Amino acid sequence: MRNDLASVQAFLASVIPGHAPIPDEPALAETAARFVTGNGRLTPAAQVDIYRRQFWLRHREILRDDFPALARLLGEDKWNAFCRDFLGVHPPAHAAFEKLIEPVPRFAETWTGLETQAERTFAADLARYEIALLEVRTGPDAPPLDPQMLARLPEDAWERARIVLHPAMRRLSFAYPVHRLRKAWLVSGEPAVFPDAPSPAHIALYRNRELVTHFEELEPEAATLLDLLAEGVPLVPALGRLAEPLPEDRQAHVAASVGRWFQQWTALGIVASVDLPSSS
Amino acid sequence: MTAPARMRLGLPDLGIGVGLRLPHYEEIFETRPKVDWFEIISENFLVPGGVPLANLDRALAHYPVIQHGVTLSIGGTTPLDFEFLRDLRTLLRRTKSPWVSDHLCWTGTATLNTHDLLPLPYTAEVIRHVAARARIVQDTLEVPLVLENVSSYLTYTSSDMTEWDFLTAVVEEANCGILLDVNNIYVSSENHGFDPRAYVDAVPAERVVQIHLAGHTNYGDYIIDTHSGPVIDPVWDLYRQAIRRVGPVSTLIEWDEDIPPLATLLAEAERARVVREEALSHAK
Repeated sequence: MRNDLASVQAFLASVIPGHAPIPDEPALAETAARFVTGNGRLTPAAQVDIYRRQFWLRHREILRDDFPALARLLGEDKWNAFCRDFLGVHPPAHAAFEKLIEPVPRFAETWTGLETQAERTFAADLARYEIALLEVRTGPDAPPLDPQMLARLPEDAWERARIVLHPAMRRLSFAYPVHRLRKAWLVSGEPAVFPDAPSPAHIALYRNRELVTHFEELEPEAATLLDLLAEGVPLVPALGRLAEPLPEDRQAHVAASVGRWFQQWTALGIVASVDLPSSS
Repeated sequence: MTAPARMRLGLPDLGIGVGLRLPHYEEIFETRPKVDWFEIISENFLVPGGVPLANLDRALAHYPVIQHGVTLSIGGTTPLDFEFLRDLRTLLRRTKSPWVSDHLCWTGTATLNTHDLLPLPYTAEVIRHVAARARIVQDTLEVPLVLENVSSYLTYTSSDMTEWDFLTAVVEEANCGILLDVNNIYVSSENHGFDPRAYVDAVPAERVVQIHLAGHTNYGDYIIDTHSGPVIDPVWDLYRQAIRRVGPVSTLIEWDEDIPPLATLLAEAERARVVREEALSHAK
């Protein structure tokens, strides 16, 4: 058997993510002795097993740091099982923790450790929200919107002006109001339990000028409008596309609300700038 | 013999620093405690913007900040990650850190990142491999690279030299600096049964540009480098020995698990200052 650097690393990388103590696995223990010396107190397998235990403890805590509400919801035993199963399917391949946690919502959506699809959907929503919180906290900066620039825009500008949303802002739609529940659990200390029934919610998650993260609940039409603006559709055409499939009463509601929405998004820093392309 | 400061790769002695950690941010920014410098974990600040970089800028306004990394994997066998190195260089321009440190270790393979600092086999083949990569990293980052000895919990059948001979050969061949973690020396000496004083005596003094001090956790059959708790007396003794040999060198207290109140951490830093001064006066 080769004993060069790559072989040593390949062996350790193959055994470190495992579960059972390596000394209990005779074939692995035998291979470990080819690469690792052991000492008077620890066999080669026991020495390698230190790294296996550290791997598990470290990654369980990384996941707990990034998903504190999900961990609290599941409780210690189920959280351990969730992490074991997740790391088994998605072993960390990158140094960046963002890559490690990226698949957590999709994994939660199908994790059989939860009893019902409703629970899985809720857990996936919660995981998506907790990832978005991290993204908003560390997302790109943008200078504050210049109100003078808005005032200088000509009347017809809204036909073609692209509204630039803050690059760190996230638009999210959930089957459950995970944003409110997480706050109740982690800030108010309420018990973390699965809700009885879904209650769809749309939010804009943003950080204010003091870099504190907040959520703003959105009406469904406001959420759709933000989606269209994020695609780069100018405001007036976006309103047209938004209104087209709506019944008359909702069209009237949008017409009555859009000024207030826009004002609010501007005040909160969700709108970062307005980009007016040259008429040529 | 004490190495003259000018020989230490031209890098300054910053005095006594502590790790900049999240639970202490507000107190540090509000009270601006007497700390000579802070060390950051570079990877925590490799983000597009927002809170981490704003906090970093607040620290930079009042203190020197040195970058310390954990994911370089200088001994890895997968290609160097140049995107990561470019991001690191961008951060270096922000911090103006006069050197950048990481660990003499490997962290993973193409399919698994352990997020751990695994020891390397101590062989001539590995010295060549690591030194070649370290030279590339140093050229890319455009500041001196400083490599830290890691704590280890296993030894390889293929190793054919001591850890200190290996460390010396790597930094000589790569022409880079040493971050001498005397707690790691102590931990590994207990785990593997070597004389830690022989290690401190053997490293090339003129290449030691920084020292780390930390606590650890003793499990009986082995010790883990947890960075938890205060520095123990045998590690202070090794620090005295290192300072007597190396001279005045930037020293940092690491405390990452069960992080104490800032006052406790600063008291540990003050102890390091006293020990360092005593050791220097004995070296004269």
